[in-house]
Amino acid sequence: MTNISGNAYALTILSPIRTGVVKGEEIEYADKVRDLLESWNLLPNSPMTQVPQTYLCRFFVLDDVYTESLPGASVMDTFADVLPVVPDGVRRRILPKEDRLKSRYLVFSSNFYGGPQGDVDGYLRGMWNAIGEHIKDLWGYCYGFDQVRDAATFVSYMKKCQLPVTLFFVGANDEPLPAQLKALYLKQEFARFAVANQGLEAAVLRANYQAFIARVAPTNLSGPTWEPGQYRL
Amino acid sequence: MSNIAGKAYAMNVITPVRPYLVWVNKVIFWAALKLPSTLKGLITLSLIHYARWVIIGKNQFPHLAPEQPKEDLSYCYMLFFSNFNGSWDQYVDSFTFAIPSGLDMFWKWNIRYPKSVALTPFHKYIQYNQIETLHYYNGYPLATSNDVKSASAVRDALIAFDQTADQGTDAEFIKRYHTLLRGLQHDLGDMYPTPIVSMAAYQVEKRTRWHASQLSALTADRVQQS
Repeated sequence: MTNISGNAYALTILSPIRTGVVKGEEIEYADKVRDLLESWNLLPNSPMTQVPQTYLCRFFVLDDVYTESLPGASVMDTFADVLPVVPDGVRRRILPKEDRLKSRYLVFSSNFYGGPQGDVDGYLRGMWNAIGEHIKDLWGYCYGFDQVRDAATFVSYMKKCQLPVTLFFVGANDEPLPAQLKALYLKQEFARFAVANQGLEAAVLRANYQAFIARVAPTNLSGPTWEPGQYRL
Repeated sequence: MSNIAGKAYAMNVITPVRPYLVWVNKVIFWAALKLPSTLKGLITLSLIHYARWVIIGKNQFPHLAPEQPKEDLSYCYMLFFSNFNGSWDQYVDSFTFAIPSGLDMFWKWNIRYPKSVALTPFHKYIQYNQIETLHYYNGYPLATSNDVKSASAVRDALIAFDQTADQGTDAEFIKRYHTLLRGLQHDLGDMYPTPIVSMAAYQVEKRTRWHASQLSALTADRVQQS
């Protein structure tokens, strides 16, 4: 399955947003979704910090698709310059067409630790349990979400919105997030220890090292460690 | 808009593909998946955390309710999502310089793809087709992709070293300790916040500064009045 690479899982969700205006607010549903997501940027930290095993994720609104097209420059167009008898319709048919989406889509793309089997159900259940209220606020403006009542119905709704990944590339690593955060904490602390303890007597260095190990507890994932989404040291 | 979270940048690009050429594109991705050596170029771009390509058929946009209008599209669409370190220019240019042929292989079936060389038309193509992220979350905003990889190496080496830390004399300990440091010299290093770690962090700090300035102005007024 191409959604999985090692233990990492690539979740791609496109949820169609209702067309029309929010009752009493004079704002389109898609713009309401946009406002909500923008408001998450003003919180002390993202609600996604509470969703277990999330490496990186993003939200955006897909308003439309794009087709870049130049005004002409095809073979027939050249002929048309020379032979004005070539009807304009023929020239236009050769140029790329312009698609327009009829719905706008809430796009949610997440990279998370899913284990070798890619436990997407477990991840989505964890997401519902952690930030259920935020999910209801956001997805509440999407088609089909009125069927969602609990974690199980949320999982089945999200699977209807899921698109299979064609190619997933993992450039970092695919360990569980708590293991990655602990490793980052250790790297930071050990680099500082190495700098602070240069040129010491062997016995003093050994004693300092033992105190350091007791403090950082390298095999204890629960702490001390970095918090998910931590942006200050 | 928030394309940045800590040291990571989120890129979203959507490009049209002619439906009768989608299978060619899919075969190329399938081959890349089956022959990991074809992704060697991507691996050398160690600034990438995660990247993915998703091809949506013209009839595959999710349709969830009878009242939702059905899409009527002429083309299939390729979505590209990337999480990388550094600036937009650094990333796009590093693709052009490191793996131009690999890049062309993935995108050459897309309408109006200008090829990755020369740079300016390629920049324009990506800019035209890029969509801004509204909310971007990074589990480790202080770390780059290389930090995440080197942190695993540091942790493993430290845990292995600690197994023997109590053995032998102090002189033997320091010898092993120096060997440990030599082995990790490419992996150690401090991590610090970048000027804008995330839009959330930036906004919170901006607000805090604003409140602090309001408070000091108020205090100054009161002192003046008294």
